Amino acid sequence: MIEIELALTNQAGLHARPAAQFVQTAAQFKSKVRISAGPKTADAKSILAVMGLGLSTGTTFLLTVDGEDEQACSEALQRLVESKFGEGP
Amino acid sequence: MTRQLEGLGVVPGIGLGFLKVLTTDLTHAVHRYAAGSPADEASKFTNALLAAIEEIHQLAVQAQAAGQNDLAEIMEAHKAIAADPELAANISEKIAQGVAAPQAVLAATEEYAAVFSAMDDPYLKERAADLRDIGRRIARILTGAGAIDFGGGPLILCADEIEPSVAAAMPAGQVAGILLGQGSQTSHTIIIAKAQGIPTVSGLGTELETLADGQQVLVDGYSGQVYINPDQSLLEAYQNKLASEQEQLKQNSLLAELSAITKDGQRIQLAANIGRPADMDNALKQGCEGVGLFRSEFLYMGRDTAPSEEEQFAAYREVVERCKGALCIIRTMDIGGDKPLPYLNIPAEENPFLGFRAIRISLQRPELLLTQFKAILRAGVYGPVAIMLPMVINGQEIVQARKYLRQAMTELEQRGAAFARQVQFGIMIETPAAAVLAPVLAEECDFFSIGTNDLVQYTLAVDRGNSAVSPLYSHFHPAVVSLIGNVIQAAHSRGIWVGMCGEMAGDPLAAPLLTAMEIDELSMSAPAIPRVKGVIRKMTVSDARNILAEVCALHDAEAIRLRLSDFVQELEA
Repeated sequence: MIEIELALTNQAGLHARPAAQFVQTAAQFKSKVRISAGPKTADAKSILAVMGLGLSTGTTFLLTVDGEDEQACSEALQRLVESKFGEGP
Repeated sequence: MTRQLEGLGVVPGIGLGFLKVLTTDLTHAVHRYAAGSPADEASKFTNALLAAIEEIHQLAVQAQAAGQNDLAEIMEAHKAIAADPELAANISEKIAQGVAAPQAVLAATEEYAAVFSAMDDPYLKERAADLRDIGRRIARILTGAGAIDFGGGPLILCADEIEPSVAAAMPAGQVAGILLGQGSQTSHTIIIAKAQGIPTVSGLGTELETLADGQQVLVDGYSGQVYINPDQSLLEAYQNKLASEQEQLKQNSLLAELSAITKDGQRIQLAANIGRPADMDNALKQGCEGVGLFRSEFLYMGRDTAPSEEEQFAAYREVVERCKGALCIIRTMDIGGDKPLPYLNIPAEENPFLGFRAIRISLQRPELLLTQFKAILRAGVYGPVAIMLPMVINGQEIVQARKYLRQAMTELEQRGAAFARQVQFGIMIETPAAAVLAPVLAEECDFFSIGTNDLVQYTLAVDRGNSAVSPLYSHFHPAVVSLIGNVIQAAHSRGIWVGMCGEMAGDPLAAPLLTAMEIDELSMSAPAIPRVKGVIRKMTVSDARNILAEVCALHDAEAIRLRLSDFVQELEA
């Protein structure tokens, strides 16, 4: 199981398109992926759950990945968040 | 017996067809639905879900191909939500407990919708409508109501509000008219209806609940009149109107090549209002001379980040080039709390039309304004371009904006980028304050453009989206006519030109008044250009002055409109 803390620095936070990108990326892997922020936890393969967290820019969340491809999965998600979802510098 | 309803004509034209009520469809079908065993229901649900996802996917592809990017993005978001495993799990659980599949789908989507609509974030709040739409789509497939049957047309669709997914699926030519209960002017459905030229009347309220499928209906999108079971004489009258309308349209396309010039030689420039570069296709076809209002806010909508300088430059450059040497006026972003953008983080307001919007945001967030100015200045290399500020109420705003314009030029110079140094700088006259202060504001700018939609709304204190007061809304109200006359005089006496870019500019009845007041330019939606041009070409300035003098003696908006209507009918006869 891998746990990493990530900060949202893109302008929109985990809204709409970034949320969809995040969920699509997570869905490519077999591992269980969860996001926790404060008391709330969401299945990262569910766009409803992810949008329901209402994470805005500047917040940090804990990413938990558990499964056979956890290394590749956590790296892909980390890249996505750190590249600001391809928003550009 | 003919029954008559009255609403607000939001898309002009005349439509005759058979009524199709959209709201009751699904409710009836769900009641009639015969449920099987939980295992049957589960497999039906799985199939319906796959069919729904495929349907949404097809709509997204079609929208993308038609260049309707906003709609494509809505459909992509619907697809992601429909494919959500958590939603499917919730529905399956209900089915396992013995709930029929359609009810399980509607209940589960409603649960999520309720969660979203309770959120503070305005963007997430709106997702509630998406969830309900998705739920109804799956339920429609399950109950065999399938997609809406558009056969047996021409149809007049009727609903309180039509879901964007349904509006997007309307086949061209099958829908002859749309009746809406709500008073909204800017819903997705109305935007789609405008693009397809489907006559639409909104604000009909609860009257719609009394209507039934299959009734013959006549929709007059010009006047907002709706006739249920029209009698023979009414049908004949409208068929004549329809025939002459089509004849008129044919004449109009011949007009596209000619300029708008009165019989005695006064010329008025007729420009187009556009929201995105693709709108230039129709604008050029209708014979526009340049763009009098490029609503740049459309570049900012339906996305998660502000458009970059490069993106804006590409859009502005395309339009400037297609203006072929005529002026292209770009209005800086006109956005407020009524159309919240997630990346602007503007808190919800009690009264967004009197709130933090347009130039007020631009001056507080200069990074947005500078980016926009730089993109416009660069586009100016490819043809004449002008900058126009919305919602101005005092000269200080113009002075401040000009300071940012100079800063944008300095930054471009330092970068070595090519840009236009001579750019006309003007303002919208759309607040009573700006209209009254016109003599002062004229000292600070190169031109005015009168934005009548807001000017009328603010002057008369009437929200025309509110069907309880919308009949009070009229650009022929004597107060409005008098303000417009004063603005034009003030501008001309200080040597600057004046245009108009609100809906009044495209109203053929207003053309004689505005010609008499010597307006220099009229900018309107493309379909309005030919008729306005035809009216201008048939009168003389002295005819126009006579009618203006007559109208100034009438102190009632409706009396003024009727007098102008007679005058224009005579011209067009």
